[in-house]
Amino acid sequence: MTQTRSLIDENGIRTDGRTGNQLRDIQIKVGVIKNADGSALIEFGKNKIIAAVYGPREVHPKHMALTDRCLLRCRYHMSPFSTDTRKNPAPSRREVEISKVIREALQPALMLEDYPRATIDVYIEVLQADGGSRCAGIAAASVALADAGINMRDLVSACAAGKVDDKIVLDINDTEDKEGGADMPVAFMPNHKQITLLQLDGKLNSEEFIACLNEGITGCMKVYEVQRSALMQKYFGNETELKE
Amino acid sequence: MQEVRRKFVIPGDIVVEGNSRPLVNVHKSGNNIIASRIGIAEVGRDGAKVIPLSGVYIPRANDIVIGIIKDHSSLSWDVDINSCFSAHLPAQDLFGRDFSPARDDMSRELSSGDVVSARIATFDRTRDPILTVQDKDLGKIPLGELLKISATRVPRLIGKRGSMIQTIEHATSTRITIGQNGLIVVSGKNKDGTQLAIKAIRMVEEEAHTSNLTQRIKQLLGVEDNVQIDSKSRSGAPIDNDEGHDDSMLGDKKSVQSESESLSRDQ
Repeated sequence: MTQTRSLIDENGIRTDGRTGNQLRDIQIKVGVIKNADGSALIEFGKNKIIAAVYGPREVHPKHMALTDRCLLRCRYHMSPFSTDTRKNPAPSRREVEISKVIREALQPALMLEDYPRATIDVYIEVLQADGGSRCAGIAAASVALADAGINMRDLVSACAAGKVDDKIVLDINDTEDKEGGADMPVAFMPNHKQITLLQLDGKLNSEEFIACLNEGITGCMKVYEVQRSALMQKYFGNETELKE
Repeated sequence: MQEVRRKFVIPGDIVVEGNSRPLVNVHKSGNNIIASRIGIAEVGRDGAKVIPLSGVYIPRANDIVIGIIKDHSSLSWDVDINSCFSAHLPAQDLFGRDFSPARDDMSRELSSGDVVSARIATFDRTRDPILTVQDKDLGKIPLGELLKISATRVPRLIGKRGSMIQTIEHATSTRITIGQNGLIVVSGKNKDGTQLAIKAIRMVEEEAHTSNLTQRIKQLLGVEDNVQIDSKSRSGAPIDNDEGHDDSMLGDKKSVQSESESLSRDQ
């Protein structure tokens, strides 16, 4: 990836007006789909993504069932209207791959051995895309899984960091993803302090790599706060403490 | 009286640090007990647990459930119990030990679409649950309105020592059969009473985690506060409304049992 134009101005302001370590505005709404067992809508800057979770439920086709644990199926899909030019609704190579990495990012947080012979289906539908949609999708799916009441070790938070104009910045947007130097999506279990997804597109030296990873984890912690408050708001309203 | 500490938790939150026994919906990580569901965490002398506020029904042995007959093989009925596992009701349970698939017509006893209340005889996750109707008040439910609510709301609907459900039953002159799996059958003599009972059940489902719910249900049903049945059932717990939902979330299995017993007396 070679950068052709400057994406950070002399005051350190990025193309969308943010500073280097600033996240886009994040809003999460829990329980937006009544038919699903758990659901969440995330607005991550200009990204708008719905995640819906069904299950644990019976596996169809039955031969896919696992005898010792639950089957986790993920489908990441971009709507035809989610991008500038129409996206073919058929699952692309990229979507199949992202579905797989999201499944693997969520799996360590779930106690799948509690529901043998059943399945949990996670549907992630991108309504509007603006870079970092896999991270936003993971954050929404993790909230939806918690909303569905599935046994989890921890929530999974996700955020990308990257290199733009040779600087390490947090939460890469679409322009920076396409024109910047490197993009590193990170998914993280905040309470267990474990990384469940780490990808890197671009080139970083070892110092940059460590700085970028740390920046990504910092972003995940900020995303976690939003996830947490969204769940708390849905289940406990404005009450934060139980009245004895 | 044992001291119980409560707090709101989401998955990953620390319920208690140090040595405590993990009970339900929690797991141990290092030296901490961590919540694995959204709900109300309780730490008592016997251990730490989370009372969940969402989730599907996972069968437990001896639960009383309501199921819908889906199909039958030559030896058992397949029953949908609103769970990720489909249950089996052996034909011998209804026909007796001399049941013969060649001689006995299974659809004579139960056919597809019938609603039954049953007890889970065995279940251990490695195999599908086996049901039994060999208990008092179990078996085919001939008539009534079938409702489905979240299984996590069932203890709240029953209330402390059955207070909530008795309030609804008495105010609407209906008979309400509750399954631990979230299926409910409401049967009443008149349509208005049934409709009102359904409305009250829906309200309990939606507002299960809020305080003062019993009060609002009574308002909806037009029941005065000092109705005899309530004062009797609440005599041991005068402050039912403020913190009642936490305790009542626990009063599950026994309450269903006592509920079905009270039904049998009525019948």
